[in-house]
Amino acid sequence: MKIVITGAGIISAIGVGKAETLVSLREQRSGIRPLCYLKTDHHEFPVGEVQLSNDEMCAMLGIDPSKQPTTRTALMGMVALKEALEQAQLIDSKTQRLKDSETFPLISGTTVGGMDKSELYYLDFLENDSRNEYISTHDCGACTEMIADHFGRFSMLSTLSTACSSAANAVILGTELLRSGQVECVVVGGSECITKFHLNGFASLMILDKEPCRPFDESRAGLNLGEGAAWLVLETEEYARRRNATPIARLAGYGNACDAFHQTATSADGEGPYLAMKKALANAGIKPDQVDYINAHGTGTGNNDISESTAIRRLFGEQVPPMSSTKAFTGHTTSASGTIEAVICLLAMQHSFLPVNLRFNNAGDCLTPVHKTTNKPLRYVLSNAFGFGGNDSALVFGTAANSSDIANQLSSNKVYLLSAAQISAQEPLCNDWKDNPIPLTEPLTRSREADYKQFIPPLEARRMGRILKRAIATARTATAQAGIDTPEAIITGTGLGCIENTEIFLDALCRQGEDQMMPTRFMQSTHNTISSIVAINLKAHGYNATYAHNTVSFQSALLDAMLQLRRGAICNALVCAHDEMTPSYHALLCKGGYLKGKHATECAVSMMLSTKDNGHALCEVADMRILYRPTEAEKQRARKELGDVSYFGSTEPIFGTSYTAPSLDLYAAANTIKDKPVAVEYSDDKYYTLILLRPCSVS
Amino acid sequence: MEELILKLKKEIIEVLNLEDVKPEDIDSNAPLFGAEGLGLDSIDALELIVLMEKNYGIKLQDPNQGKEIFKSINVMADYISKNRTK
Repeated sequence: MKIVITGAGIISAIGVGKAETLVSLREQRSGIRPLCYLKTDHHEFPVGEVQLSNDEMCAMLGIDPSKQPTTRTALMGMVALKEALEQAQLIDSKTQRLKDSETFPLISGTTVGGMDKSELYYLDFLENDSRNEYISTHDCGACTEMIADHFGRFSMLSTLSTACSSAANAVILGTELLRSGQVECVVVGGSECITKFHLNGFASLMILDKEPCRPFDESRAGLNLGEGAAWLVLETEEYARRRNATPIARLAGYGNACDAFHQTATSADGEGPYLAMKKALANAGIKPDQVDYINAHGTGTGNNDISESTAIRRLFGEQVPPMSSTKAFTGHTTSASGTIEAVICLLAMQHSFLPVNLRFNNAGDCLTPVHKTTNKPLRYVLSNAFGFGGNDSALVFGTAANSSDIANQLSSNKVYLLSAAQISAQEPLCNDWKDNPIPLTEPLTRSREADYKQFIPPLEARRMGRILKRAIATARTATAQAGIDTPEAIITGTGLGCIENTEIFLDALCRQGEDQMMPTRFMQSTHNTISSIVAINLKAHGYNATYAHNTVSFQSALLDAMLQLRRGAICNALVCAHDEMTPSYHALLCKGGYLKGKHATECAVSMMLSTKDNGHALCEVADMRILYRPTEAEKQRARKELGDVSYFGSTEPIFGTSYTAPSLDLYAAANTIKDKPVAVEYSDDKYYTLILLRPCSVS
Repeated sequence: MEELILKLKKEIIEVLNLEDVKPEDIDSNAPLFGAEGLGLDSIDALELIVLMEKNYGIKLQDPNQGKEIFKSINVMADYISKNRTK
């Protein structure tokens, strides 16, 4: 199977669209400037801002901001997506809407989501009703919905939130969907604006340079934050041929690995980056000497650049291909960097040149990047994106004319659910909920704490929030029950992530001002802290991802695991669902009318899936669907495809509600399945999901 | 000085959330970082930088400065007593 790229769109500090971006790259025009659009006290830090105000973007898109809540991340995402969809001829040139006949998934990557508006209106949220419409734009999934909805209806939406590798991981999920044969076309990318929240967070970690950044240079002193969005339209070569779309390049391979070392630092030997690049080349079926250019992660921090240099040296030996970091042009565009740099790679391939690493003078211990304008034909390029928590990914792109195929293993392994552990409003880590459920009487019931001390050393536990302790306790219980020490993949779904620490940081930012912010709070505010802290605890260097897409966060994580397990890319996976709820955030949700009188709870579920039944499997996970805004006919068709099954009722009366509550439905269904297949159904005003479970005894 | 050392130990226990550690458990001469002492890491160093600014009005610009200043409680107390602005 060949996967071709037929559309690409980009917006960043160096231009709106591919044409402007190309000129900036070739003429060495950096986008690093003094702060202009973000309202902050930190004017000492230069940044890579998109040179458009929100109002200007609204005008470009025909949006009336007084009628529709928008966020900067969503607006930049729309501008870039329009370019990608236009190039791929997927939108009607007159209406700018998706053609009705074609519907396909959109997978995004973001971590900031709607934080730009949350930090602006946080005190209003608490004190008055003037900005209630922005309460729901906070989460990452809402941002993806706003971007997608601007163009019509996509068949499925999901959002990866793995900090600075988010968009690269969106490319990986999109490609897995294509390889499975479930879809023929998918739109992947990411978007992220600069916010006061993460500018202050990075400042508290003391990794921001007060001068324009100098990746790989001996004098480097940190990164400059950037912002932007970029999208790729990926499709099978056959589908592109059928609809006369012109391939601009191919996605040749990808790798994802976890450094499993530290929350904000990369290991000295660059194990995670090394494994991600190694997997990407193996996946593309190419040898290191076939790589013509590496677009490095190259943030400009002391830690990243030396550890990435070490990882590249380990993989490429003496023959390191030309490499550079383009973050000296764009700044670090965090969650969007994976696809922003992918589009830069595509431009370099199309126009046969090596992007320059600006402001480089002396290598010191690091690799020497490309620092002079060089023309060179590029057949294969490697693009790195590494995130906090050691979420490391690498993508390989090849020219459109290249002939090698991405392996299309359409094997369909069976997937067994070996074990599952929960901590919720019910008695933790046990099955008491079946016979003696604790009644839910309060509007908000927080989870009971598990005894985590047997799993987490005191020095590590002391700065973990409750959600992280629950994540480790359930993960350790599920893996022990399954008899698997180190899972090959850890995939988490979370609606709100570590909302407790996020809220503490945001509260301090809004009330006390931008001074003396707490690094421990910030580093626990990213959604992927959960998956990565579990990986550190289990010493798991395999695939690692986090999904944050409101009510389908868990189902997205399960889908990712299912695709890889069925294909045989991995033999087992730990799939997790975690959400916490604070009294104050609960009050906001009530105020926004989102809970509709339901009992809010917290959720922690970890489950071990495997392609091998160890003889004690709870059930087989046979099939699943995630549909976005389906018609009644589409819902009926999905149900029909599952065959004659009984439908499992909601566990809401027992476990209450949270973004990841569907994981508790699956947990309960798997624990009570008898001799008939059971479907776990979830439905709300936007999403419809189905998960088919089969008892192990029935083939 | 003894008073400052005790105050500092209490502040460190609180800000770094060192559960089950009492001021008398911390040897004023022992290294704060690495396996031989309290076992603190780079994130703790950043928290200590915030503590120095908040409680003593000392602003460190470079995280590497912390390596010298946070060697032990005694070294830290000595630095604070010489440089504090509040």
